[in-house]
Amino acid sequence: MNEHPFEPEYPVDSLTAGVAGGELSGESSIVMEATTLDGVVAKKRLGPLFWICVGWLALNVLGAIFANVLPLKNPYFEDYSVVNAGPGWHHVFGTDDLGRDIFSRVVYGARVSIAAGLGSMVIGFAVGMPLGMLAAYRRGRFDGVTTTVMYVLLAFPAIIATIGVLSFWTPRNLIKIIIVIGIASIPLVYRVVRAATLAVASKDYVLAAKVQGATDRRILMKELLPNIAPVAVSFLVIGIATVITLEGALAFLGLSVNAPTPSWGNMINESRTDLAQNPWLALFPALAMCLFLLCLNFIGDRLRSHYDVAEVKL
Amino acid sequence: MSNADQPLLSVRDLEVTFGTRRRPLSAVAGVSFDIYPGETLGLVGESGCGKSTTGKALMRIIEPTSGQIVLEGTDVTTQTGRALRQARTKMQMIFQDPISSLNPRRRVKDIVAEPFDCWKSVRGPERDALVSDLLNKVGIDPEVYGDRYARQFSGGQCQRISIARSLAMRPSLLICDEMVSALDVSVQAQILNLLEDLKVEYGLTLLFIAHDLAVVRNVSDRVAVMYLGTICEIGPADALYSAPAHPYTKFLLGAALEADPDSPARDDVLQGEPPSPLDPPSGCRFRTRCPYATEKCVAEAPASREVAPGHQVACHYPLTVTTKGPASDD
Amino acid sequence: MSEPLLVVRDLCTTFATPTGRLRAVDGVSFDLGANETLGIVGESGSGKTVLSRTIMGLQPRTNVEVSGSVRLGGFEVVGASETAKRSIWGTEVAMVFQDPMTSLNPVVRIGNQITESLRVRLGMSRAEAKARAIELLELVGIPSAAERFRAYPGQLSGGMRQRVVIAIALSCSPSLLLADEPTTGLDVTIQAQILNLLDELKQRLAMSVILVTHDLGVVATRTSRIVVMYAGRVVETGTTRDVFYDHRMPYTRALLESSPKVSNPSHTRLAAIAGRPPNLTELGAGCAFAPRCAYASDRCRAERPELTAAGDGHTYACWHPLAPRGAPS
Repeated sequence: MNEHPFEPEYPVDSLTAGVAGGELSGESSIVMEATTLDGVVAKKRLGPLFWICVGWLALNVLGAIFANVLPLKNPYFEDYSVVNAGPGWHHVFGTDDLGRDIFSRVVYGARVSIAAGLGSMVIGFAVGMPLGMLAAYRRGRFDGVTTTVMYVLLAFPAIIATIGVLSFWTPRNLIKIIIVIGIASIPLVYRVVRAATLAVASKDYVLAAKVQGATDRRILMKELLPNIAPVAVSFLVIGIATVITLEGALAFLGLSVNAPTPSWGNMINESRTDLAQNPWLALFPALAMCLFLLCLNFIGDRLRSHYDVAEVKL
Repeated sequence: MSNADQPLLSVRDLEVTFGTRRRPLSAVAGVSFDIYPGETLGLVGESGCGKSTTGKALMRIIEPTSGQIVLEGTDVTTQTGRALRQARTKMQMIFQDPISSLNPRRRVKDIVAEPFDCWKSVRGPERDALVSDLLNKVGIDPEVYGDRYARQFSGGQCQRISIARSLAMRPSLLICDEMVSALDVSVQAQILNLLEDLKVEYGLTLLFIAHDLAVVRNVSDRVAVMYLGTICEIGPADALYSAPAHPYTKFLLGAALEADPDSPARDDVLQGEPPSPLDPPSGCRFRTRCPYATEKCVAEAPASREVAPGHQVACHYPLTVTTKGPASDD
Repeated sequence: MSEPLLVVRDLCTTFATPTGRLRAVDGVSFDLGANETLGIVGESGSGKTVLSRTIMGLQPRTNVEVSGSVRLGGFEVVGASETAKRSIWGTEVAMVFQDPMTSLNPVVRIGNQITESLRVRLGMSRAEAKARAIELLELVGIPSAAERFRAYPGQLSGGMRQRVVIAIALSCSPSLLLADEPTTGLDVTIQAQILNLLDELKQRLAMSVILVTHDLGVVATRTSRIVVMYAGRVVETGTTRDVFYDHRMPYTRALLESSPKVSNPSHTRLAAIAGRPPNLTELGAGCAFAPRCAYASDRCRAERPELTAAGDGHTYACWHPLAPRGAPS
């Protein structure tokens, strides 16, 4: 007998072992067999909580888009007569230490967070996703080179890079922040998409499509993409949440958008100095950010588990 | 059932080697056979013998390292691009795992119509009619099940859908790679019967790859037995099963578990394990487990020789019908 | 005859699933004597794996209800606590699972996997356990056992791994061995070796064996009695010859006839059973096989048939049993 430690299994033919039975062992197989396979498969519901979260997100997004036309106080107007006022009739969330209305600043602030989140994810996916899918499908040298490059980029701490670039690339504005974070997220998206595509690309139906004469492009769009979409969407949602948090962290370092532009992170940062006197300044933006992230994460998780197609082996 | 005419598929000295130059893994080591129009050739062997690899190499899913594959007179061994895609429409494959053969997120109708859509050969109502016809032929009602997603079907039904899909382009050759191995006995019988019916109706030629000897015998006209990347024996099914000429075939048949309490007890069980394809034995690859091996078997790999019309064996001492030991070498 | 080793009476295992209550095992009863080999045969969904696990007491802790009785050498498994069950696992009853690739821990050397149970259950010292483990490896036919002791499962072939699994199962000398599809997925020649090994060990160690499988070929020559299951219910039991040659239940015949045989000539039309195995959450009141049975009547659909005796330990559950016939000459 050959004594090659950790010798790879015989290729291809070893697949015949283990599948020649008919029944999986383990109690989970019984649940699978119980599901009616030609009748109605009990539709998994997303749940009311899911839709509440979607509603909250929609509210935030609409508020951010239409902030100009909403009956809000001017977020830049400094009214020294009502400095550090608590929540009241005129100023729903109170005012900050320059007399600016917190409520309208929170609504306008959503723009920065949402734009940063969406914008950088768009960049990340626009570049990372096609590269990831191609690398996983083609394999070979393209995969080897691209993955190595991406892993090198991943090894470099993204936060430090972001801080570094933003410190020197002044004057700062939202576009620059989006670009920097977007580029930093490309390797992450690449890794997730590539892993998901690898799992799908080895399935027999991809092989079957190839064997029928489908071009690579057709296979990528019709066979691979629909099957990695749930993972991608889930990661997208979590990614947006992460970027929003990142913006908050950058604001703490003074690296987010310049004052007086309101952003949730900026507002929390500004509140540090007189937290004792005016806790409202920290509370409301933090609450807004917190709720937004909570809803995002919940939606991402629900989507993932809803679209997770269980594989039944017979 | 075999035609004395031109073979539909002709394979010569096919070799598939994986791994690196330092540690090559020869999965298929010089396989040659012909398949004639309208017949079913069974390809049988245990795991690691290279039968699945052979099937995939024929489809060019795995690239052959060397050798020649001629389909309907055209050499498809080195074709690429559009020519290859076109050649593939004449040769289709059905895979082992019925569930993963179908995209779980597509509807059955779209899956079966995929070949038409790829080639844009038929569209619109004509395409729908063809799809419905195919589904009906495999026993799936297109009205009821056509719009369902592939993940909602059982193993047997998935295999039927796979068959329908592979017939869309009217291939001449259908390669069945362990297609019933993952199915229950009762479902297996249904699918095998269906395959026989469709073979007649569509004029198919089949290459049936399996490890189950009983299934292969029931389905095939001729059978080829593979061991560690080489073909030991190839011949008419009935002759091969009743009077095997290669020792390995004899042991393989002896080990087959017959569902009959009165079947005689076999005391000649093949001992040992198959050698690793990373380091195959010199000469005849079966010699390490063969009780009849001699020095000649160590030194020289046996060439394929004919022991009866249409029945070839790769052995220095093929078994004759009457004796159990090595026959005299000519 | 002495007291049977295993007595199963009216065993029912019910799972609570999102789509309904699933009776995976529905009123199974049989006996098993010492030194006997019993075959439990059925397709997927027949409940045979759940049955073997319930006999061991290995069913999951939540969402499962087990009723009935399983007496193993006087010990009642149903309802016993985990601690109590652990006292018989390995020492009285042991199980060999289907897939040798997943039943061994890939990161622990096989020697240690065997000695683990020897040291924990039998309290052996390290040296004693190692010696015994090497003995066991030799017993199951692993060449160069002393060197193989240090191998990892990934370095062994499927057949070798299954032998190691058998060695682990036998390490504490159980009186009953439950083998759940022990050779499925293995090569034909290796299957023959493993089954011969089980026969040999059974003789040598005076064990009883239950072979759970879907493959009639496995049980044909190696069992003395067979239980045929369908949809969680026992539809026929009897000696092996009775079940193969004198069966009464149409499902048994359909199963036998739809299995392709090596001795059949080429292009034999197989007698396929129409339809598919039933959905266990939606079983009607009558016989579970009625929707697929060629002989079904209204009574079959309305009333569930009782197990009727056909003499000499042969029972079947059918309202319209097939006529008795002798073995082919």
